Amino acid sequence: MKGYALRPFLKYVSRKFIFLLVTYFIAITIVFILPRAIPGNPLSTLLRQIFQQGQANPELIRSVHKTLMEEFGLGKPWYEQYIDFITRAFKGDLGTSISSYPKKTLDLIAPVMPWTLILLIPSIITAWIIGNTLGAIAGFKRGSFTDKFTLNFSLIVSQIPYYWLGMLLIFTLSVKLHIFPGQGGYSQGTIPAFTLKFILDMLYHYILPFLSIVISALGGWAIGTRVLVIYELDADYVNFGELLGLKEKTVFSYIFRNSILPQVTGLALSLGGALGGALITEIIFNYPGTGYLLFRALSTLDYPLIQGIFIILIGSVYLANFLVDFVYALIDPRIRLGQSEGS
Amino acid sequence: MGNLVLQVENARAYYIVENNYVRAIDDVSISIREGEVVGIVGESGSGKTTLSNVMLVNIKKPLSLIDGKVKLYLNGSIIELNKLPREELQRNIWGKETSIIPQSAMNALMPTKRIKDSILDVMKTHFDEIHENEIIDKAQTRFEEIGVSKDAIFRYPFELSGGMRQRAVIAVATLLNPRFLIADEPTSALDVSTQKMVLKTIQNLREKGIVKSIAFITHDIATVRQIAETLVVMYAGKIVEISSIEEIIREPLHPYTKGLLFSVVTPEPEVKERGIYHIPGTPPNLMYPPPGCRFHPRCEYKLDICEREEPQLKVVNNRKVACFLY
Amino acid sequence: MPILEVNNLTKIYESGMIIRRYIEAVKNVSFSIEEGEIVSLVGESGSGKTTTANIILRFLKPTSGEVIVDGRDIWKDINTFEDLKEYRKKVHAVFQDPFSSYNSFYPVDRVLYQALELLGKNPKASESKDLIEESLVSVGLEPKHILGKYPHQLSGGEKQRLMIARCWLIRPKLIIADEPVSMIDASTRGGIIKLFEKLREEEKTSILFITHDMGLAYYISDKILIMYLGEIVEQGTPEEIISNPKHEYTKNLIESIPTLYKKWS
Repeated sequence: MKGYALRPFLKYVSRKFIFLLVTYFIAITIVFILPRAIPGNPLSTLLRQIFQQGQANPELIRSVHKTLMEEFGLGKPWYEQYIDFITRAFKGDLGTSISSYPKKTLDLIAPVMPWTLILLIPSIITAWIIGNTLGAIAGFKRGSFTDKFTLNFSLIVSQIPYYWLGMLLIFTLSVKLHIFPGQGGYSQGTIPAFTLKFILDMLYHYILPFLSIVISALGGWAIGTRVLVIYELDADYVNFGELLGLKEKTVFSYIFRNSILPQVTGLALSLGGALGGALITEIIFNYPGTGYLLFRALSTLDYPLIQGIFIILIGSVYLANFLVDFVYALIDPRIRLGQSEGS
Repeated sequence: MGNLVLQVENARAYYIVENNYVRAIDDVSISIREGEVVGIVGESGSGKTTLSNVMLVNIKKPLSLIDGKVKLYLNGSIIELNKLPREELQRNIWGKETSIIPQSAMNALMPTKRIKDSILDVMKTHFDEIHENEIIDKAQTRFEEIGVSKDAIFRYPFELSGGMRQRAVIAVATLLNPRFLIADEPTSALDVSTQKMVLKTIQNLREKGIVKSIAFITHDIATVRQIAETLVVMYAGKIVEISSIEEIIREPLHPYTKGLLFSVVTPEPEVKERGIYHIPGTPPNLMYPPPGCRFHPRCEYKLDICEREEPQLKVVNNRKVACFLY
Repeated sequence: MPILEVNNLTKIYESGMIIRRYIEAVKNVSFSIEEGEIVSLVGESGSGKTTTANIILRFLKPTSGEVIVDGRDIWKDINTFEDLKEYRKKVHAVFQDPFSSYNSFYPVDRVLYQALELLGKNPKASESKDLIEESLVSVGLEPKHILGKYPHQLSGGEKQRLMIARCWLIRPKLIIADEPVSMIDASTRGGIIKLFEKLREEEKTSILFITHDMGLAYYISDKILIMYLGEIVEQGTPEEIISNPKHEYTKNLIESIPTLYKKWS
């Protein structure tokens, strides 16, 4: 009746790998095209920096410009630039920054990455936990005041533009009430170090951007989970469990457990996207993360830096995507052990 | 006749939908005695599943018990279940004194927990202190008694085949030896060859004294006839006939019972002789049930009085039927 | 000449992304149906009976074997759209779930219009109106109670009758009825069964009746085929099968069927 073979497993993995390569190729092509579609000259900032102090001898400017054009390959036709970029992208070479010449792109991204991860991973997870719990309680008490309140609250916070929420927080809690600082990742003048004083200072600066991300993300999770829970309320195992006398608390835990399974996928994907930073949040709070770096790269048209940030972002989203399958199998025994039905 | 186990008295249970009543159960009384298997037969929309919720007093919005009593006879005392708060029912009645094998038993167990963990959860609601090993031992014994391997309790429900899963549900439902068990269409989702095994399993529950009495709800007279002694026939939220099943098969009294019985098709020569019958028309919308006898629009023996007056159940030759023909 | 001839039909499914499984859903199945004959294909879930039906209906391509309808191989001799239309006029299906055959956005009349269009008739013509009413009456439906209604306004039995009305319009030579009454209440089933019998009496329609219900098969068929794990393990007249089953599986199956007039020992 049935035949088994290992070959299909390899086929599955290789198919998935080819799929990843093709989409990676498409993604980096877009990453190549888009910044070049922004009007402006990437060298103007750099030239301005170089000649800020000394006199601007037109001859000197021209020769520096020429060297730089060659250095970055900007003088070549676009297809040569493209081929050059693709070959390096597949080799993992992210190039040299234009605006912070001669620093390597990777050396610029590496130091800001921890800041972004420290900000985003806890806030994404916190929003996920609070949002799912609120949504589950609302769904479980469908039609009650709690449900209506939670639903409306979630709808509002998920629709508030998050940058506006960020500015609102700065305005009230920082500017007016002076409770929290509204700018930066740490106090100006301090040097990042692994001391208690610095960590406390950092946490103090951390609260507002953290809150703005948590509040704006939890509404979406709550709305999604509420629907999943309502769907689960009529499940056969719920009815049977109730008629065997299960406590409401236990029934809730059953429903919660089964209905957040799909949300785990969403969480993994959000975490995968975390490396890209929360662009606008970081700008508003002047927070030294990847998003802020990207903002700077965009405003100076630093092609290699823009490309570098996006390539790392794409890579991490891919990784998350790939891992989701395994995470899911880990938490859902039906997938882990394979359904016995339907053969 | 044995002692009473459960009694429903003049129950009216309506679904309240946008200020309208759907009269799913309308003035229904039923008595279940010790040692008895009562078959409750009806088609979709007859109110048989609502009746099972009334018997357990699982009354949840939009269902509402408008009127009537549900009594449980327990060690000489009578408990009016309809007066107990839900928490009390959960802790002391459901799963302990009354239980159910649900309609879709295939998905009745928590899918992402091992069966033993579901069992432990149930025990935790009924007892303040539990001894895990003791419970697992007891559960394993019951699983084997019912014909499921005792290792099955360490598995997830989906790892068991259909018939095994159904029997595991039966084992879980009867762990605490409930006095009264409802079997709500327990075999209709199964293949014929598994059906018979499951029916035998349910029969054994009573023979081994695991449960005192069973209400077997179904749409299939041929199935229930293998297991029940008494048959209750429901139509449009009312009981139209109650009698011993042998007598109903020999001579159905109510025209609806007749129609239902004669539309049963089994591979027997008797069926080919009598042909297949069918009842014309469709069951009424219970939001606006017809006046008088609810069956009169489909009845070929209709009298004038049937359109005006509601027939009550009356005794005819030791049987009960609600029809003006008798 | 038989209206349907199935020769050595086999269908193998491949499934599983990581571990590939090969499932032989239908194994070397052969049978035939004569004009005006009702043949039942009886099996439990997973026996391959629906796969067989889908192959005969040309919804699924077999792995090997042939299906010959009215002398033509449905996989070799149907090449053009016209051929296919001709085939659809000859072979018509009635399915288990009467709801799924309807589009809930259109009045139910549409399923009859589609049948008329298949016949090359204009559904709006007055001649068509007569045909429609005639077909409704022959399945015991009152035209004025049915026409213009939407699917949710009709009961399951009425919807299934309407599907059979379609057969009265098209007058196919062969009807493939896949569990046509298993979702219909017992008390209205008999009416639907009689409609199939009437089609056979009056139009000499052949019917392949696919069911899990041995009682129905026993009642309605001239010949019963017992299918188990993709194979036809036994065939014969209803009496032969019921009173003298030969295959172990059939014996077990018949023993398991609840009987009405005799209680199990």
